[in-house]
Amino acid sequence: MLDADSEVPVPLGVRLTLGRAAVQTIADRAGVEVLHIKGNAVDPELRVATAIGTDIDILVEPSDVALLDRELKRHGWRTYSTFVWGSPFGHAQTYAHDVWGYVDLHRFFPGIRLDPARAFALLGRASHQMVFAGTPCRVPGVVEQAAILVLNAARGGDGPDLRRVWQDAEPERRREIEGLIDALDARVAFSAATGGLEAYRDERDYRLWKVVSEGGSRSAEWRARVRAAPTLQQRLRIIARVPLVNVEHLSHRLGRQPTRGEIVAEFFARPARALGDMRRSRARGRR
Amino acid sequence: MTRLVVPDDVGVEVVDGIVYVAHLPDGPIAVLDGIAAFIWGEALAGEREDLPSRVSTATSRPVQEIAEAVSEFIDDLLRRGLMLARSSDAVAAG
Repeated sequence: MLDADSEVPVPLGVRLTLGRAAVQTIADRAGVEVLHIKGNAVDPELRVATAIGTDIDILVEPSDVALLDRELKRHGWRTYSTFVWGSPFGHAQTYAHDVWGYVDLHRFFPGIRLDPARAFALLGRASHQMVFAGTPCRVPGVVEQAAILVLNAARGGDGPDLRRVWQDAEPERRREIEGLIDALDARVAFSAATGGLEAYRDERDYRLWKVVSEGGSRSAEWRARVRAAPTLQQRLRIIARVPLVNVEHLSHRLGRQPTRGEIVAEFFARPARALGDMRRSRARGRR
Repeated sequence: MTRLVVPDDVGVEVVDGIVYVAHLPDGPIAVLDGIAAFIWGEALAGEREDLPSRVSTATSRPVQEIAEAVSEFIDDLLRRGLMLARSSDAVAAG
């Protein structure tokens, strides 16, 4: 009477809700602390209309990242993009699951310069539970969620979120958000979203936020990443990766695992692309 | 008497009268629509023993006509681990 094997479409919102419950179950069994963020984990007070996102975002206590990575893989989650290649910030790793879709596991949140473990504690200080498909999941307090959404908007120019949580916020709420932003040492990214970024020209991550929030060439992004790295060791690590091919990105572009020949071809195509970037930048500069 | 309950490792989401129920954390997701969704809700609301009569009343169908199908459906849910049968006393005691 119950045919669980037949293919029936499941609405995205349902998949996300059940997916959050699935991820939380894995985290609970492993004893891993997780905060559910963005999408359908956003408090209705801050959520734009019915925006629920397209994937699941979680922030993980940094010392538990390796453990949760192992447990997710044990339960059918496959790595879709890694910390190294996923974004200029190296903040999240994406996993895909045949039933639940995608989850972004954040080991820190871009724009926050405070030590990730201390930032996790701060973002979880006023946390409360939101129930997904019967499973209690921890979400940050409303002010903490607002700060996360503003910092998120700095990367994608998410107008509706920014309007709702910052531009339309009462003065008292704005003061609370700014206080938290200062405690998280996140003023540069915050200014990239809300205005006044130029006041931070001397900060190491200024150029990165300039490129991310306003756009720029790939080579400009790489230079900004190197400059934003807090230590010499991290700078060298980024520089070492510059000539490597992003195989994950190439796989997603091709829709399959690239052949050795395609990886070699991409390796030689990238300097040409960077050269193209440079020529375009110069042409713009002359105008 | 028997009460039917949702096991701890099963997630349930109801949207627009459709019940989506899944084993956590691995799935799959089972979709219960129409009469299946109705029986799911009724099954959790009272004793298993009088479930056919409650479904019969709600659907205006003779109880002897539906009792077997309702029982098979519940057995299937139990077999799949999507529901759990417990004594009413144990459920009342929490």
